[in-house]
Amino acid sequence: MARDNRLPPPHGVLIDRATPVSFTFEGRRYAGFAGDTIASALAANGRWVLSRSFKYHRPRGVLTMAGQDANSLVQLPGEPNVLADRERIVPEMAVTAQNCFGSLDRDWAAVLGRFSRFMPVGFYYKAFYKPGNAFRFWERIIRTMAGLGRVDLNARPGYYDKAYGFCDVAVIGGGPAGLSAALQAAGAGAEVILVDENPMLGGSLAYARFDGDRGRAEALRADLATQATAHPRITVRTDAVAQALFADNWLPVTQGNRMYKIRAGAVVAATGSLEQHAVFRNNDLPGVMLGSAAQRLIRLYGVRPGARAVVVAANDDGYGVALDLAEAGVAVAAVVELRADSGPGAMALAAVARGLRVLPGHCVMEAQTSRGHRHVTGLVVAPLDSGGQPAGAGERIACDLVCMSTGYAPNAPLIYHAGGALAYDDETAMFAINSLPDHLFAAGSVNGSFDLDAVLADGRRAGRAAAGDAGLDAGAASDIPGDPLAVDQSHAWPMFPHPGGKDFVDFDEDLHYADIVNATLDGYDDIQLLKRYSTAGMGPSQGRHSAVAAVRIAANATGRAVNAVGTTTTRPPVGPLKFAHLAGRAFASVRRTPMHHRHLEAGAHMMVAGPWMRPAWYGAASERDAAIRREVRSVHGNVGLIDVSTLGGLEIRGPGAAEFLERMYTFAYRKQPVGRARYVLMTDETGVVIDDGVACRLHDRHYYVTATTGGVDGVYRTMLRHNAQWGLDVDVTNATAAWCGVNIAGPESRVVLELVCRNIDLSPAGFPYMGVREGRVADIPCRLLRVGFVGELGYEVHAPADHGEALWDALMEFGREFGIKPFGVEAQRVLRLEKGHIIVGQDTDGITTPHEAGLGWAIAGAKPYYVGKRATLIQKQAGITRRLVGFTTVDPAAPVPEECHLVVRGQDILGRVTSACRSEALGRVIGLAYVAPDQAAPGSRFDIKIQGGRIVEGEVVPTPFYDPDNWRQEM
Amino acid sequence: MADTGTIRPTDRLRRSFLYRVLEEAGASFTEINGAAVATSFGPVEDEIAAARIMAIADLSPLPRIGCKGCGALDRAREHDVEIGDDNNVAYPQAEGELAARLADTEVLILDSLGGAGTLPHRIEAEWSLNSVDGSYLVNRQGASFWFMVTGRHAPGMFAKLCAVDLQPAKFPLGAIAQTSVAQTNCIVIRADLGEVPAYHLLGDSASAEYQWGCLLDATGEFGGQPVGIEALRLVAWPG
Repeated sequence: MARDNRLPPPHGVLIDRATPVSFTFEGRRYAGFAGDTIASALAANGRWVLSRSFKYHRPRGVLTMAGQDANSLVQLPGEPNVLADRERIVPEMAVTAQNCFGSLDRDWAAVLGRFSRFMPVGFYYKAFYKPGNAFRFWERIIRTMAGLGRVDLNARPGYYDKAYGFCDVAVIGGGPAGLSAALQAAGAGAEVILVDENPMLGGSLAYARFDGDRGRAEALRADLATQATAHPRITVRTDAVAQALFADNWLPVTQGNRMYKIRAGAVVAATGSLEQHAVFRNNDLPGVMLGSAAQRLIRLYGVRPGARAVVVAANDDGYGVALDLAEAGVAVAAVVELRADSGPGAMALAAVARGLRVLPGHCVMEAQTSRGHRHVTGLVVAPLDSGGQPAGAGERIACDLVCMSTGYAPNAPLIYHAGGALAYDDETAMFAINSLPDHLFAAGSVNGSFDLDAVLADGRRAGRAAAGDAGLDAGAASDIPGDPLAVDQSHAWPMFPHPGGKDFVDFDEDLHYADIVNATLDGYDDIQLLKRYSTAGMGPSQGRHSAVAAVRIAANATGRAVNAVGTTTTRPPVGPLKFAHLAGRAFASVRRTPMHHRHLEAGAHMMVAGPWMRPAWYGAASERDAAIRREVRSVHGNVGLIDVSTLGGLEIRGPGAAEFLERMYTFAYRKQPVGRARYVLMTDETGVVIDDGVACRLHDRHYYVTATTGGVDGVYRTMLRHNAQWGLDVDVTNATAAWCGVNIAGPESRVVLELVCRNIDLSPAGFPYMGVREGRVADIPCRLLRVGFVGELGYEVHAPADHGEALWDALMEFGREFGIKPFGVEAQRVLRLEKGHIIVGQDTDGITTPHEAGLGWAIAGAKPYYVGKRATLIQKQAGITRRLVGFTTVDPAAPVPEECHLVVRGQDILGRVTSACRSEALGRVIGLAYVAPDQAAPGSRFDIKIQGGRIVEGEVVPTPFYDPDNWRQEM
Repeated sequence: MADTGTIRPTDRLRRSFLYRVLEEAGASFTEINGAAVATSFGPVEDEIAAARIMAIADLSPLPRIGCKGCGALDRAREHDVEIGDDNNVAYPQAEGELAARLADTEVLILDSLGGAGTLPHRIEAEWSLNSVDGSYLVNRQGASFWFMVTGRHAPGMFAKLCAVDLQPAKFPLGAIAQTSVAQTNCIVIRADLGEVPAYHLLGDSASAEYQWGCLLDATGEFGGQPVGIEALRLVAWPG
């Protein structure tokens, strides 16, 4: 066949002949032009075999030239399953074939085709599992044979993102109907987004022939596209695929590396129709393609699709193909007309007038191949008998190109997604729209219009209706225009089964005509079962070219009407969709305290604490334990500083503030003096502990309440919800971000603070334990809380967030002479454990009650009400089934139990460890654990099962472990 | 104007949450409201041009105050704040401030680009807990970052981060969206600078660096860049 298939201008509207591009396919170098697709460039070079079929490894080539079939799937470095008839070549692109063993041209797996009789439909349900262990043998082979492309695990990720799109009317499809609809809607004042999967607007206007010559189509395309592109209210998105149509007109549209999330007031589906193939023996050979594919090659890419062609036609478009081929210098050997005559269409008349040989009432018996089965070399045709099947031995026509123009199916996935329905029309032999949901309109051939004037009118009608539906004044609605061509577009039975098989219905799955028939004979005549049993429509093409044929065959085989057989469910996405489109761009918000960079500068090892970043310890990861011990020592011995900005802060203000706290928390607050802090414990309605903190009374009507880092947002919501019912005169404000905080702790903490505080009496009498003061620290207005979470003399200093770094700097500066050290969350966890302080969410779980956790002291039982009161009363009366206790290990050298190591008694699980560490200050292992009530007394011993099933004996000890008289923290 | 000459951010106790990022980008600073605000990153003519196309600026140190409660709007009106009847509308004030009515019971007062802070400071100074008018101050200064996004590409940039249609035809001058931007809760207020589309963006101060990074990433497609307050002033008040 010819090596150089390039056609001169004006053919090839998409290619730039001034920009040659060199690339490789299967290791061999090829030349193309910018704008060429991989497939068109290869075709221009006479390279037609693109892939091997899934099951029989038959050579496959161009079928649709529109990204609608799996024949064109190829592999790129870093990306599998690329559509060669969509992907444009770039310099040095290295393309390889998929699914071949050996090479694309000599695939040894093609021998499987000779054993097709042993691989009938559904054979894998009946084989590979007998005898009993057979699947173990076959599985490895099947996995090796299965799949198409290969994922490159070392591929470099690309940048993918998303963007929202907003419009009154979204028009999907930029052909004549879509362009008309978009212009009509925009003219009525609608903001329009026009989406088309091709690189150029125009759709079929760009390549098809609508009448005797192409003049009108070319002029119309240029005019409509120019108008649409220039229109201020139309946003054009080409090379874009509307992947779905979800509720409320939400459309994901992929364009390049971006997914647009478009919300439209109304949608016009002008998605056209899919040309269907004819079924005959060897209809899958390279060189056998749809008529529109040949026209795309000629018009869009300037490629002559063959040297000598036969056109199989059942509509006027087939004659348009024949004329295009002839004008491109292709010898048209014959037009095989499936109908009794060529009809009155303008293109048929022009073809006849040109002297093309037409064989009315004929069909195709088989396509014939060259040696090696890699390209079509001839077509055997025969007249149709009265039964619609070939009669006689047939005539062989030599050719290297077969174009099929035998019918269409509406390209209606979006209509199905939105809940529209289609039904088969026996008169037109096509599926047609039966119903559309609200706010969705259809236009053009998807709506059954094929005559160009009818298509344009239908587009305008739909655009007008959509704009009106979106709330604009678009004028009076009109009816769907009549179309004289509608009844003559599709042949009802373009299928000619051959006793030798290889008459493919589904190219993706290598399904023959007999496979569909046999599936129904096997009992799978319900369309849903037929699909799954045969796999028809389950390949990459998703039934674009097999669904109609399969339904027809099933109907014929079972003596039913097509509508009685029905169709399967069409689901998103419409086209190939990368995970990257779905995943990118990910947003993972990160919250940083005002002192964040000071921690980094000090060498902190940061940890994730909910949405926050916090310093875990200061030092390398490799010196974790040493760093934590060092920080703990610093707090015990000198002074340490920790950033506690992540703790929740809530402002409770108003005349009802005290009453509000009385109801929200278990303790008593009405009589809490101004200038004092008090522990807060929150339970839910079931009496379960959900949060804790400290309430600081700054004024009769103002409490500043702290909450846990992870719990504050939930606490805030809970407060708002309850007060919506109570209606107390109180304002609740989540001030967590407004305030930052530090805890300066250690024997020298007071001394350091005295250096930077003004107007605050820090003496033990002036600022006792659990006191609250407001004043200036390093000239920064602050709230100071004297609390003892880490067991030493200490103060929480809360400052306005935008002063946080300055506060930190001042304390570190003035604390230097006292050896101040920053300490992180891990050291804080050790220190608080030494004091026996619980952490809600670690030492409590989803069912922990106050009495179980030893927090009964924090319940003001005399209060008439607090959230969870009734439940906690019942729990107290019923008695506890477990108890949180402090413990140490009997053997001081025993391994430190870990959180959630079980407390066991024989085979019974009685509880678990919630916290544990080895305390350097105390010289032993300490921890908290839930044990059975009869194990809770100090001195009791219990078993802990640690890793490997080993048992470590624990002994209950009272808490606090460290400074049990609290002298150090209350000094 | 309230500027008091060039300074370094660490010269002051109050600091923008972004000052390091701005320093690395080459910002020069001046003092406003006791903190360093980036005045420029380069020639102001270039920044004016950028502001018309696609730019972001950090206004976090500028004065602002919130007021909430059943008496909040009345209290604000007693301080001569003009507040209309509609929620999610920012009402301009005499000296260029904005009173953003967030709800029937909440208003956010933003100072003008001048930065003098007269109105927010006056409201804060005259408020007392002893008052029983049902109004409470909200500390917006430390709680929120405050950025300004300007330029004709601003709506398209926001479309990559926010599901609300911020195109001028759909989001009029003074409109407020309390919504999600890059997965964080934010307040967006349209406040054009003359003919140039512009939006105030306020959100959780702890997310300031994260949000700034998202904005820089999203503006890159449009040639966006940081600009200083000087350029914004000149666009808003030419001459």
